[in-house]
This record gives sequence, C-alpha cells and structure tokens, in this order.
Amino acid sequence: MIGLGNYLILSGIIFSIGVVGVITSRNMLKVLLSLELLLAASNLSFVAFSRFNGDYTGQLIVFFVILVAAVEVAVGLAIIVLMYRHFATIQVDELKDLKW
Amino acid sequence: MSITAFFFYFFAAALILASLAVVLARNPLYNVLSLVAAIFALSSLFILLEAFFVGVILILVYAGAVLIFFLFVVMCLNLNSTAMTSINQGRFRLLGAVIGVLFFGEIFLAIQVFLKAGAMPPSSIRGTIETIGQILFTDYLLPFELTSLLLLIAIFGIVSLAKGALSTGVAPTKAGDR
Repeated sequence: MIGLGNYLILSGIIFSIGVVGVITSRNMLKVLLSLELLLAASNLSFVAFSRFNGDYTGQLIVFFVILVAAVEVAVGLAIIVLMYRHFATIQVDELKDLKW
Repeated sequence: MSITAFFFYFFAAALILASLAVVLARNPLYNVLSLVAAIFALSSLFILLEAFFVGVILILVYAGAVLIFFLFVVMCLNLNSTAMTSINQGRFRLLGAVIGVLFFGEIFLAIQVFLKAGAMPPSSIRGTIETIGQILFTDYLLPFELTSLLLLIAIFGIVSLAKGALSTGVAPTKAGDR
C-alpha cells in the first residue's frame, strides 16, 4: 500500500540529492539545476499532502511555485549569461570580487 | 503488488536516478536533459496522486519552457571542455555527501515521528482543471493576478540586465566569447 510516508520519503531523497548538488557544484548552471530539484521535491510533498488531506490548497501552491520558479530561472540565467560575458567563465569560485 | 504500487516504485526509481544524473553528470547538456527526465517522472507521480492539472502544467512549463531555456543558454555559452566540466574538488564532494546523508537522516526521522500519529487513507479529491480553476479564480484570485505583475517585473529585470550590459559597453574579457 502506497501511503503518504512513501511520497514523503521520496521527496526527502530528492531534496537531499538537490542539497548535495548545490553544495558540491562549482558550475553556476548546475547550482541552478539543483535548485530546481529542491523545488521539485517540495512540490511533490505539497501534492502528496494535498491528496492525503483532501485539500486542494497544496496543488494551488504548487501552481504558484512553478510560476515563481520560471521567473527565478529566467533572471538567474540572465545573470549567468552576463557573468559569462564579463568573466568568460561560469565557475562559482571565480567570483571573488565584490565589485565588477 | 498492486498496479499503483508498481507505478509508484517505477517512477520513484526513475526520479531518483534522473536526479542523481543531474548532480553527478559532468556535461551540462546531460544535466539539463536528466532534469527533463526527472520532471517527466515527477509529473507521472503527480498524475498518480490524481493531481492532473498540476502534472500537465509541470510538463508544459518546466519541460517545455524552462528547461529548453536552460538548453539555449548551454548552447549560447559555447562552453569548451575545460569550462564545461565542473571539477568537483574532493573535499567539497566529501562534505556534500556527509551533509546530504545527515540531511536525509534528519528528514527520515522527522517523517517517522510524523507518521506514528496514524496512517491517513488517500482522499478522493481529483485535481482536474475544473476543480483547480474554480478555486484559483475565487479564493486565490488576488495571488493569481499578482503573479502577472511578478512576470512583468521579471521581464523588466531581464531587459534591463541585458540592455545595461550592452549600453555600458561591458566588453567580453576574451575574444570570441559570444
């Protein structure tokens, strides 16, 4: 029987993988992709709670999270492109200066 | 094993494998494509949870728009092999693995405690376009309209970022970057 616990554990696994990705990646693109994994994991637990509580609010929150994530990715990728133009690299630890 | 359990474990395994590929693959192209696979598996899980609308939106917006945007950037940046492969330093990888395991252990314990309260049976709600739309346009009308403002602000931000870089003449540090 697949219960709420299975979905929550799966969501925890995905979230942990995303955390590891954010910590270990030095590539800016990979950091953004790992952030997407974190959002996906929280979306999964929202939908699972919505299903098992009988409340649609969780699914609506997931809808808004998807919207905000799209905005975040657009701005983040614009910053990455600017960073590449300026530094000719997208390695995170190349960013040592506060002022460009 | 019931058919639901089979599908759950199948898509859960696909989701975990794809997420691992997102973090571990060296080529950014493979990272992005693995995230597409992960989003498809996640969407299948949503549909298994009878959240049809959110599942379809996830594929449309994420796999259709956001990740294609990622692919465009990966292609536009024209990363050579040295800039492309993210060299994970050993200590960072070890630190990441330790923190990841600890983090998952913490989440696992929290869920165990939470589930001791008693197993909930699945409810019979179905997240179709009709039900979600009804709530979206009554109770959540203001947040829904505000998201359009958010998108507008994001457009202004991106345009000003791109234009600022062009008008102030930020020269690429290496020839032939673009």
